[in-house]
Amino acid sequence: MLRLADVVVRYRMAREKPRTLQEYLIHRLRGGTIAYEELLALRGVSMEVEKGETFGIIGPNGAGKSTLLKVIAGVIKPTRGTVDVRGRVAPLIGLGAGFDPELTGLENTYLNASILGRSRKEIEARLPAIVEFAELGEFIHSPLRTYSSGTVVRLAFAIATEVEPDILLIDEVLAVGDEHFKAKCQKRLLGFKARGTAMVLVSHAMPEVRRLCDRVLWLDHGAPRMCGDPGSVVAAYIEATREASDGDRRS
Amino acid sequence: MVAALAEVADIVRHRELLRNLVIRDIKVRYKRSVLGFVWVMLNPTLTMLVLSVVFAELFRVTLKDYTPYVLSGLVLWLFFAQSTSVALKAFVGNRPLITTVALPKAVFPLSVVLSALVNLLLSSIPLFGLLAVIGVPVSRHVLMLPVAIFELFVFACGVGLTLSTLTVFFQDMMYIYDVFLLAWMYLTPIFYPVSIIPERFRWLVRINPMIHYLNAFRASVYMESPTLGADLWYGLVWAVIALVIGWALYHRYKDRIVYYL
Repeated sequence: MLRLADVVVRYRMAREKPRTLQEYLIHRLRGGTIAYEELLALRGVSMEVEKGETFGIIGPNGAGKSTLLKVIAGVIKPTRGTVDVRGRVAPLIGLGAGFDPELTGLENTYLNASILGRSRKEIEARLPAIVEFAELGEFIHSPLRTYSSGTVVRLAFAIATEVEPDILLIDEVLAVGDEHFKAKCQKRLLGFKARGTAMVLVSHAMPEVRRLCDRVLWLDHGAPRMCGDPGSVVAAYIEATREASDGDRRS
Repeated sequence: MVAALAEVADIVRHRELLRNLVIRDIKVRYKRSVLGFVWVMLNPTLTMLVLSVVFAELFRVTLKDYTPYVLSGLVLWLFFAQSTSVALKAFVGNRPLITTVALPKAVFPLSVVLSALVNLLLSSIPLFGLLAVIGVPVSRHVLMLPVAIFELFVFACGVGLTLSTLTVFFQDMMYIYDVFLLAWMYLTPIFYPVSIIPERFRWLVRINPMIHYLNAFRASVYMESPTLGADLWYGLVWAVIALVIGWALYHRYKDRIVYYL
């Protein structure tokens, strides 16, 4: 379904970044050169996710988890290595990013669906199910700005998952919404899993990772530190985090 | 070359998104006003009324058919100014989408120019209405009108791509372009005839691409102009130059945009 081989993401960032043309020109006119810094966001990550498998990615902040997800989503091109994605990817990241508050729920549904690469026909057939999942009823014809934030997320989640994806990318998505919504999402995700959708989950919630994932990758400074069954990887990760914070306290 | 074609194919694949973005722009623009679409046509008409009073009565600009002169200039300039200054924010404004979904990013500035084009076509209606009311005959070169508009559309796409890409890296582009656009507007004969420009500033007229689009537009709407053919050729050359620069810049930096947003 999904195979990454030795993926490296390296990019240059100006050390003192001139953020304006004015600064840039002044800097250049004074004969200054721009010092670039090489940033290695991912250093040789390989992973493979099979059909129906749930793959967890854990690690401290800045370890490259989101970058890895963006590589899989196709937003970032790897500097080296290969990314082989078979099937339709649905990113459950930044839910509702393409929504416009002035448009109705229905208009937003069509817009959002086309952002995700779904055709109008496809989405039209699924409309009743989307409205039902989002618990919108007649409100689908009201402007989005009148919705509660919970409803917006429900609608976005419904659009992204209604047309069955082959690979689902999840970045802390279950952290939003109330208990009722979380339960609903989890139920749907488990249904996907049963039907063969591969899932890649980035999370800081270790109990969730342990419960949902079949395999877990622990990233540290962009490099894979450990990969394997959730029980042992999560245990090792928690152990290392505790040692690190103990060390901080001692010093 | 192959990579550029692949990007174009990707945009074509996302044509439904492009269409939805254009529809969104138009709907959002007029949704909350009671008059709705009427505004598109009313806006340039009212501005023209003000300008023809100010320039024709107060400054005593003497020019045959001054009212259609101003209105046509205004309609065309507004298309260019609006499309490029909105396209400038196309990448920075769509940051949440660009950083999460794999899309050919060029659809964002492109959709902005396309929706401005719809506006231009709508606001051409009162222009022709006005010609009928004041009894100025439509030009016999009216068939060249789509050509003139298409050339300016391509030119605006090129400028829009350039600006939207630069704005990702230089945040002050917006302010620079605002001032630039203001100067450009005054250097373009929208409200005044070219003849009032002093001889020593004529070179500014010659290097201004907008003049050719404006001349061609006016000539194919109502004005007699011996230079229509030349203007269309110059317009084509400028459009190709703008598109090549814009596309090259976009293509070179498109994979790096995501790091800077």
